[in-house]
Amino acid sequence: MKKGVKIGAVLAAAALILTGCSSSNNDAGADVKVGLAYDTGGKGDGSFNDAAFAGLTKAQTDLGVEFKEVEAGLNSTDASREELLRLLADTGYNPVIAVGFLYGTALGNVAKEYPDVNFAIVDSVIDSPNVASLVFAAEQASYLVGVIAATASKSGRIGFIGGMEIPLIKNFEVGYNQGAQSVNPNIIIESKYMGPAGDNTAWNVPEKAKTATEGMIAKGVDVAYAAAGGSGLGMFQAIQAGGGPAKGLWAIGVDSDQYTIPSLADVKDVILTSALKRVDVSVYEVIKGVVDDAPLTGVQNFDLSRDGVGYATSNSSVEPFKAAADAAAEKIKSGEIVVKTAE
Amino acid sequence: MNTKSPSIRIFAFFISAMTLLSISRIFADTNDLTSRGTMAAAFGLAVPIGLAGLGGLWSERAGIVNIGLEGMMILGTFGAGWAGWQWGPWAGVLGAVTFGMLGALLFAIVTVSFGVDQIIAGTAINILGLGLAQFLAKLAFSNAPGGGQSQSPPVKGLLPSVTIDFIADPLNTLQQKGWFVISDLAGMFSGLFYHLSYLTILTVILFVLTGWTLWRTSFGLRLRSAGESPSAAETLGVNVIRYKYIAVIISGSLAGLAGAYLAIVGTNVYRGGQTAGRGYIGLATMIFGNWRPMGTGIGATVFGYIDTLQLRDNANIRGLVLFGALVLIALAFLGLRSGVRATSLAFLIIGSALVGGFLASTNMAPEVAQVAPYVTTLLVLATASQRLRPPATAGMAYRKGESH
Repeated sequence: MKKGVKIGAVLAAAALILTGCSSSNNDAGADVKVGLAYDTGGKGDGSFNDAAFAGLTKAQTDLGVEFKEVEAGLNSTDASREELLRLLADTGYNPVIAVGFLYGTALGNVAKEYPDVNFAIVDSVIDSPNVASLVFAAEQASYLVGVIAATASKSGRIGFIGGMEIPLIKNFEVGYNQGAQSVNPNIIIESKYMGPAGDNTAWNVPEKAKTATEGMIAKGVDVAYAAAGGSGLGMFQAIQAGGGPAKGLWAIGVDSDQYTIPSLADVKDVILTSALKRVDVSVYEVIKGVVDDAPLTGVQNFDLSRDGVGYATSNSSVEPFKAAADAAAEKIKSGEIVVKTAE
Repeated sequence: MNTKSPSIRIFAFFISAMTLLSISRIFADTNDLTSRGTMAAAFGLAVPIGLAGLGGLWSERAGIVNIGLEGMMILGTFGAGWAGWQWGPWAGVLGAVTFGMLGALLFAIVTVSFGVDQIIAGTAINILGLGLAQFLAKLAFSNAPGGGQSQSPPVKGLLPSVTIDFIADPLNTLQQKGWFVISDLAGMFSGLFYHLSYLTILTVILFVLTGWTLWRTSFGLRLRSAGESPSAAETLGVNVIRYKYIAVIISGSLAGLAGAYLAIVGTNVYRGGQTAGRGYIGLATMIFGNWRPMGTGIGATVFGYIDTLQLRDNANIRGLVLFGALVLIALAFLGLRSGVRATSLAFLIIGSALVGGFLASTNMAPEVAQVAPYVTTLLVLATASQRLRPPATAGMAYRKGESH
């Protein structure tokens, strides 16, 4: 009996503390705990993962949710990724959001074990009733920056630096090429990938991206676009070392608005614009869905018409190219232009 | 070949190689093959591999196989990113060397004092180095502005680099003329004086210093004797254990320095995974370089050069294929004269096949380009050093006084 009383007292106290906490924050999302699992690039990559974090931060401010972040190590296996996701699902985090296609297999397995938890995965499609598959029309965003690159280029040669050579990244290249060719059919596009499919180092070798960009500059490329995760930093550094805007050289970032990312502050001057993949919008929508008791499920295609992709305008130097890019965006939305994909 | 002097032979070899390279450049129409930018970038990519290889050399010369180089290098990248972010690039270099040394000290305690199998201990160091760097990065950079769990904020400032304009620029102009051989030599030497980082210069000095110390001083003789015949060395009063410790710690500091180059000169941040297996590649160049500084340096430079070629332009690799074919054919004719028929014929056939492939193709598949550095380095070093001789007791545990 005494023991029961004690436990009861502890529980009551705990309940008081907890309600005390939540009552200080009246938002509907106060009892929602979001679990976010980053890709190997990790928070601070200045692109993809940081965009997810931005969405999370917005949800925290607007909806008052709590969150926990985890990150898979470099040599993670599917089994260890599963453990990370289980850890989140087991400890009451709902929704659980996995950032990146690398989580595909792991999330598919874990989602079956926790039918009551809402999962979401970025850049992958998992067929399960409690999973929202967040896919992006990256080729549309790439088309827009391709238009900008071709308009900004004086030499008629532009470059593309890819991370791992996989269909996901090839979509960026295909859209970029199509956009550039819509402006200048004779444009020459140099392309280089940092590694073949399966080579995870491809995202983490900025010094190689630097060498590749230097090679492109030597061949007359004056605008380059990287979809290469953390390796993209090397492209910015090469463009900067080559003289940057003063010599007519520009770089185009990817995923996040890289002009505004703190870790890229040293090279922001060369970043004309960025192809935005609004991972932040998607993460926010997933969280909002759970807060509103209407969780997202199935394939969620974030394209131009949903503001899921776009291009960044925070660097005012992009001003002269906006008209062309916006016109292209309207044509894509209306269906007049169909942007191809790699598959 | 009636010339006996090795320096004249090396010179003749070098000039012949440059001639063939020049022919390949002209026929493949890839001026970038010997451009200043290519050469400068090649040295850049060669430095971390060369330093790792040099680290492996020190350790193996004292009889300790150090496959933990990769782990020590990873620790080095973290040390460089962390100290560099706090106090600037030179502090970063010091931090990297310190972290590399700490990894090596642990490795030395385990292998030298406790006699644990060196391969197993080295693997453990690689796993530990990776895990520790990730853990420390999480602690140090997660909440730092501009950083994240797997990336440090930028290193404060840049390491100085040297460009000697009055040498580099005229040579570069000469290179762009596209003249036979002369322009190729000009491009190469222009690259030597163009955006040369202090760390690159330090690396060259360390290679020379290693060769001199290990083969020209009594300290070096004792250190090598600890790897060749430790019990004999001990009977002559050499403190074998101490020399093994010194060698392994120098090895770790060089691996750490390789990490510093990646995190400070290659780019300006620590990034998880940025070593990308270079510790292993360094170890391989050291082995095929016959446990010698010269061989290791050449191996690393060849790898860096070809990696640069494929990164800068796939068309370069087409030129390289032609170069390889010409080298094989040249070797075949030399071989026929001195009577090694079978090998020469094989060289001739492969060489001709490559020329055929070159003529039939107009561009190079990216997949072929990506593996080119690995294949070429392996071929060059394997044919150049057919009689590899490792230190006699490399990989064996040594216990003090066991032979008495």
